[in-house]
Amino acid sequence: MSIAAETKQQVAEIGEKYKYGFVTDIEMDMAPRGLSEDTVRFISAKKGEPEWMLEWRLGAFRRWLTMKEPNWARVHYPKIDYQNAFYYAAPKNTPLKQSLDEVDPKLLETYKKLGIPLHEQMALAGVAVDAVFDSVSVATTFKEKLNEAGVIFCPISEAIRDYPDLVKQYLGSVVPVTDNFFATLNAAVFSDGTFVYVPKGVRCPMELSTYFRINASETGQFERTIIIADEGSYVSYLEGCTAPKRDENQLHAAVVELVALDNAEIKYSTVQNWYPGDENGLGGIFNFVTKRGDCRGKKSKISWTQVETGSAITWKYPSCILRGDESVGEFYSIAIANNYQQADTGTKMIHLGANTRSRIISKGISAGKAQNTYRGLVSVYGKAKNARNYTQCDSLLIGGDCGAHTVPYIESRNPTARIEHEATTSKIAEDQLFYCLQRGIPQDEAVSLIVNGFCREVLQQLPMEFAVEAQKLVGISLEGSVG
Amino acid sequence: MTGITALGLPEARRNEAAAVFRARGVPHRRVEEWKYSDLKSALGEAGIGAGQADLRISHLPSGVETFDLAGPNPPDWVREYFGLASRNVMSAASLSLSAGGTAFRVPRGLAVAEPLKFEFTGSGHVRGLVVLEDGASLTLVEGVTVDKFRNAGLEIVLGEAARLDHVRVSPNAGDAVLVEEVSVRIAQGGQYRAHFAAFGSKLSRMEVEIALEGEGAEAHLSGVALLDGKRHSDVTTHVIHRTVGTRSTQLFKHVAGGHAKAVYQGKVTVAKGANGSDSNQSAKALLLGENAEADLKPELEIFADDVKCAHGAAVGDLDAESLFYLRARGIPEAEARGLLLQAFLEDAVAEIPNTDLRELVRTELLTALKALV
Amino acid sequence: MLDIKNLHVSVGGKEILKGLTLSIQPGQVHAIMGPNGSGKSTLSYVLAGRAGYDITEGSITYNGEDLTALKPEERAAKGVFLAMQYPVEIPGVTTMTFLKTALNSQRRARGEPDLDAVSVLKQVRAKAKLLNVSEEMLKRALNVGFSGGEKKRLEILQMSVFEPKLAVLDETDSGLDIDALRVVAEGVNALRDPSRAMLVITHYQRLLDYIVPDRIHVLAGGRIVAEGGKELALELEAKGYEHILKEPA
Repeated sequence: MSIAAETKQQVAEIGEKYKYGFVTDIEMDMAPRGLSEDTVRFISAKKGEPEWMLEWRLGAFRRWLTMKEPNWARVHYPKIDYQNAFYYAAPKNTPLKQSLDEVDPKLLETYKKLGIPLHEQMALAGVAVDAVFDSVSVATTFKEKLNEAGVIFCPISEAIRDYPDLVKQYLGSVVPVTDNFFATLNAAVFSDGTFVYVPKGVRCPMELSTYFRINASETGQFERTIIIADEGSYVSYLEGCTAPKRDENQLHAAVVELVALDNAEIKYSTVQNWYPGDENGLGGIFNFVTKRGDCRGKKSKISWTQVETGSAITWKYPSCILRGDESVGEFYSIAIANNYQQADTGTKMIHLGANTRSRIISKGISAGKAQNTYRGLVSVYGKAKNARNYTQCDSLLIGGDCGAHTVPYIESRNPTARIEHEATTSKIAEDQLFYCLQRGIPQDEAVSLIVNGFCREVLQQLPMEFAVEAQKLVGISLEGSVG
Repeated sequence: MTGITALGLPEARRNEAAAVFRARGVPHRRVEEWKYSDLKSALGEAGIGAGQADLRISHLPSGVETFDLAGPNPPDWVREYFGLASRNVMSAASLSLSAGGTAFRVPRGLAVAEPLKFEFTGSGHVRGLVVLEDGASLTLVEGVTVDKFRNAGLEIVLGEAARLDHVRVSPNAGDAVLVEEVSVRIAQGGQYRAHFAAFGSKLSRMEVEIALEGEGAEAHLSGVALLDGKRHSDVTTHVIHRTVGTRSTQLFKHVAGGHAKAVYQGKVTVAKGANGSDSNQSAKALLLGENAEADLKPELEIFADDVKCAHGAAVGDLDAESLFYLRARGIPEAEARGLLLQAFLEDAVAEIPNTDLRELVRTELLTALKALV
Repeated sequence: MLDIKNLHVSVGGKEILKGLTLSIQPGQVHAIMGPNGSGKSTLSYVLAGRAGYDITEGSITYNGEDLTALKPEERAAKGVFLAMQYPVEIPGVTTMTFLKTALNSQRRARGEPDLDAVSVLKQVRAKAKLLNVSEEMLKRALNVGFSGGEKKRLEILQMSVFEPKLAVLDETDSGLDIDALRVVAEGVNALRDPSRAMLVITHYQRLLDYIVPDRIHVLAGGRIVAEGGKELALELEAKGYEHILKEPA
């Protein structure tokens, strides 16, 4: 059985808890099972790609055949049979439900807790209503506005067709084809993703993808995203969705490449709430992501913010290459692992240029039987005069059966650089909980309040409306974790 | 067959060690734990060989029993404790390749006032064993001789409420490649204090694994490294809190000038159920040379929720404002730098409980500092 | 309002309260005095429902209801407030957020609608002023970095915002200098009300100069060993606990 089909079956067996999104029988337009040059050619043909793109993919595939799956992270999972999976499956159409009555009430309850507006709830749950079309038309309006500003914001397949020169220039320029096992796999078989180009001096008039939340939630198994901020521009990009996501692919291997030129700034925020598996650790998404930003220009800035609450396995290290002098890298992270989830996440800050600065704030929360690892690298090279880094790495444990781990690497080769790293480990103290209860706050809400307090510095980095939902998500992810 | 092999010591322990070493081989920079210390390339074609190094006792206080590990008829305490730590790759190498060394025992309740002084010497592999029975206490002063290559494995076993103060001074050892693995087991209420002063060599690695096995067991580690030229020093620690109410602290201060490389890797593990564990780790490095390098990896591995664990790490240079202040008061720059470096290192040196030893380390540091600034 | 009968409480298998009986009517202020280790804090935690305090015998009735059957948050919603001796720090949660969350939780439990942020803010601000709690304190994380006096003033501010029916003040005077004590006591006195009962727990008579009780109970060895009017406090002050403990209760 393929891993995808296996997940599907496991999820079906679990039944009640997470059945939404997994029950629709979608008519597939499928690539043959397994991975070969033919699969790669099939995907490229499906996407109507030019020859150079196919060659790029094939190069990646040949390389991938020689690579080994990495095993250094603190994550354990059954061996993935890459030859027994499907690599391309385009959903033709999704049978729509007639009303919200047909939707799993538990799903609706989660939407309500998250405060998602009604029409979006319907869209997320796949209900046929006019309201959905409203939001699509809203999306169209904003697209016009982006056009006016000269911002390119489109699916990557469209960019390969319409802006081949830009794509050729930047694709694989931050995450090389040969970077790592999963990134190379992605290069060979990616079928989805976003392309963003913000021209010189343009401040992108809106948070990209906030208004496209519904569309953005329909992401594929192997996404590839490229964001380029040309000189003096600014863009804020939101990825993901606080609502539980419909997805039946067990294996995910996305690649995100960011390029910031002189004086440009990119802010990239992620909320990841994919299926984490059930209370017994059955099912769930394996998420192997390569995200990297290149501060190529002087005084450029790239800021990653992530709220990771989903997936059975998270393997993700959004990084910054601080190449331009005076460039700035930031990483703000909340990672929550509950039940049997395993998260191994962190960042790399590579200081190459002079006067580069980086800041890392990581908040890890472990509950149930989960393992949560922060893994980070701060590396200062010889030419990075006066480089500065500050890292704060806090872990919170809920219960005595989980694990919280911190693995920072600090490397300095310049005497004028300063690096500071601090880490703490704590738990929700019984007296904190009692204090909240005594003031009338129920247990789950008290846990949510305390954990949100613990995560505050990171939540503050999220765009306002996203932050509110993320706060609620933090609470929902930990419901029932304190007995 | 000679030495310990001939003595009917559990052959299984040696076989196991040999298997571990065979499986892993001489570590190099692509082996995670040896990322910053490429032993294989430092040794070059000569490899680790199978030579026999030695343990030389320079002062043996009365009351301390010894046993020559190359001799016949080992006593029960040697049979019981020798060769238990074999999971570490280089420790496995010395266990399977060495046929000599010395074992020491301090009997129950005996407080030995005078320090026991010894040094590993010669090229090759060698083992040592120090057993402190319940309530015993001892100060261990370890010297290091300069030889081409040495791999020493030292096992320390502390009984209930036993207390060992361990001070190791590793001088500037030029082209030497020196590797030492210390494995410490501490029973209830036992206490291990260690200070490692290192002046580096082509490759120097001090690796300590400490298991806090009994309630209330404590380990306190501190160290300084002062490196110049192309010297390297690596201190790698792993403290395992196996049970409730255990404590550990670590304070390391490293200074690297020239092309030197100072490495600290410290891992603290708190096992499931080891509630009330308290651990604090601090590692700081100062770089003086354009081509010097400092690597720090303070690691936490926590499987219990009721714990207090923190670590801090920092790399930087001398505080410009302090330097200016001292110079403004008429202190020449070199001297001012020396003073500030001394101050930087001092709190780690202050951790040495024995006054004489503390002074000894201070003197060594001062001499090296003069050469550095 | 509150009826405690023959209350026996154990903590970790050790009996701390050994048959305590006490009754308070609405509008009354009672004080419990006693030496260290007499069981004063245990009594306050048992009333608030903290886990780990096992009632082995006796009963606590609150407005005719068995208080011990209620969870801590249910007691809070029903008007039981404990001003703690050591108010707890909650990093990252601003005081204002905490007040709003707690107030609305209590209201929800009582079937009342939530108050919006603006009206909570207005209410809190007005009351904060009287207690000398600054705007800046409301913005800071709850109790984090607060001085002893600030923490205690914040407890009384919460009491005035939540408007409890039964307020238990556990060693509210500890760690306060005379000026801070006066501010806190004035805050408490302002909340005296015919419909509200208060139980003031203290080691020293000093606090009772400012919050004058209707009745004083002396707690020692887990039992009430002496009772009387406010003059009892002065007697204790003059002669010490030793003297009272020697007399037959």
